[in-house]
Amino acid sequence: MLRKYPTLLRASWSLMLEFRGEILLWMMSSAISLVMLVVWLSVAEDNNNSVNGFNGNDFVTYFLSSWAIRNLTAVWASWEMDSNVREGKLSPMLLRPMNPVHWDISQNLAEKALRAAIVLPVVILVMLFGPGLNIDWSLANVLAFLVSIVGAWLILFWADYLMGLSAFWTSQANAVITTWYGIRLILSGMVAPLVMFPASLQTALLWLPFRYTNSFTVEIITGRMNGNDLWFGFALQAFWALFFFCIAQITWKIALRNYSAVGA
Amino acid sequence: MSQIHVDRLSKHYQVHEKEAGLAGSLRSFFARKYRTVKAVDEVSFDIQAGEMVGFLGPNGAGKTTTLKVLSGLLYPSSGVATVMGHVPNKRETAYLKQFTLVMGQKQQLMWDLPAVETFLVNQAIYEISQDDYDATLKELDQLLDLGPLMKKQVRKLSLGERMKCELAAAMLHRPKVLFLDEPTIGLDVTMQVRIRDFIEAYNQRHGATIILTSHYMADVTALCERIIVIDKGKIFYDGNFRELIERIAPYKIIKLQLAAPANSEQFAAYGKVESCNGTIVVLHVPRERATESAAQLLTQFKVNDVTFEDPPVEDIIRQVFEGNAKKR
Repeated sequence: MLRKYPTLLRASWSLMLEFRGEILLWMMSSAISLVMLVVWLSVAEDNNNSVNGFNGNDFVTYFLSSWAIRNLTAVWASWEMDSNVREGKLSPMLLRPMNPVHWDISQNLAEKALRAAIVLPVVILVMLFGPGLNIDWSLANVLAFLVSIVGAWLILFWADYLMGLSAFWTSQANAVITTWYGIRLILSGMVAPLVMFPASLQTALLWLPFRYTNSFTVEIITGRMNGNDLWFGFALQAFWALFFFCIAQITWKIALRNYSAVGA
Repeated sequence: MSQIHVDRLSKHYQVHEKEAGLAGSLRSFFARKYRTVKAVDEVSFDIQAGEMVGFLGPNGAGKTTTLKVLSGLLYPSSGVATVMGHVPNKRETAYLKQFTLVMGQKQQLMWDLPAVETFLVNQAIYEISQDDYDATLKELDQLLDLGPLMKKQVRKLSLGERMKCELAAAMLHRPKVLFLDEPTIGLDVTMQVRIRDFIEAYNQRHGATIILTSHYMADVTALCERIIVIDKGKIFYDGNFRELIERIAPYKIIKLQLAAPANSEQFAAYGKVESCNGTIVVLHVPRERATESAAQLLTQFKVNDVTFEDPPVEDIIRQVFEGNAKKR
């Protein structure tokens, strides 16, 4: 299968270049992080520049990192699945000797490369000319950061793919997907740092998947994570990635059986 | 053993019936009504390697459903289907690599990229060696005249051009079995002939087995010796096309244009007088006596013009559906 990837990636890259304008628009839609930054800055200002241990610079660092990570882990396999199932585009894909998910993965990776090309210059510019960012640039920390981005992407991709599979049972898969996006937006720390949440919710979020799709990675790069917490985080991230992967695989098998039973 | 074996195959769907209007949709929300549709009902047939078979039937007859079962997209409700010894719905790679399904109304080409990108992706997916790929593409280019079309964005191609590329994409792995579902739908006559010629050439060169469905009788008459007529999920006729025509319509149509008006009684001896209005006479003459009758007509009357025709295939098929020719 891996030998097929260079060709898939090359075609996906050409496809993404066709959509570059659209991708730019999608990136703008992730600007909610930057809107939230402005909100929290004004909150900080009203509170003597400190909210739960965050000062103005901390907020800038937090939301800029959150925005960059969100862009480097964006997924949309569910929307593709929904339209493929409803419009019957899945059938031609199923005739080919390859699981169509490889196509989703390669398109996503190609798109990530394109997004990185836009995100990185912005981050570098802010680092050079913006206010002092509180980022921990130690080698071990940057490595942990990179691993956690991959982990976050794996959770997001397989969870999103799983939500998309609901299209096999309901014509309202959009509703499922949008609800999932909404919950994720809030609970992953993209609207507010998780330390701003009530203590009980924070404890719950330690065990739920959401933190590991964004906040965890932000906490690493901003140096808010110590050794033990880091390993605990990676363990949970790995658990949730594996969990969604396995459930998605099983569901795909059932979905396919269902699809071919009721009409393709 | 036959290459395609279908034995008492059935495919039933549960269809959710929804009433119109708000009250209706509320009712169906709380108490869904289901109805079983027998899309394919106890169908049996065998097809040998290299055969070209036409599937004829009106919309909703079960043609596409049968092809989808044979392609592994649908599980049969009951009965057996095997193709090249494989059970299609197991979707084994070995099977997927040996057949293709082309649906005139669905496409596999990537809409936003040139067709050649899909070709390359298929090369990777089907694991086609570079040599085989080059050779096959060259041959397809010859047969379909793809040329510059391959490098144009698919969405900018005309329907006919797109169909050519669609066929090429489906043939790159040199399938041994082809299921062609309405491959000429919406195409103009020239393009229809082009596609038809391609299918014929592919069958002859590679000995491929082909099942073809089409609304255009001309496609089927030109390509298939054997036809399977299917309606409401059941097979009405399976056999030689010519024999069917001769059995249901054992006559030729002779149209005469006379120099002087005549009346219909004068022609009664030759066959059935379909119409006679003054100088134009249309006769249905028994097939075996057609030549003889024509000769006599030409000597007996002063004829300005004469034409011989076979009865239109559409009429024949309609008669089959109307139950005039149930398989004995």
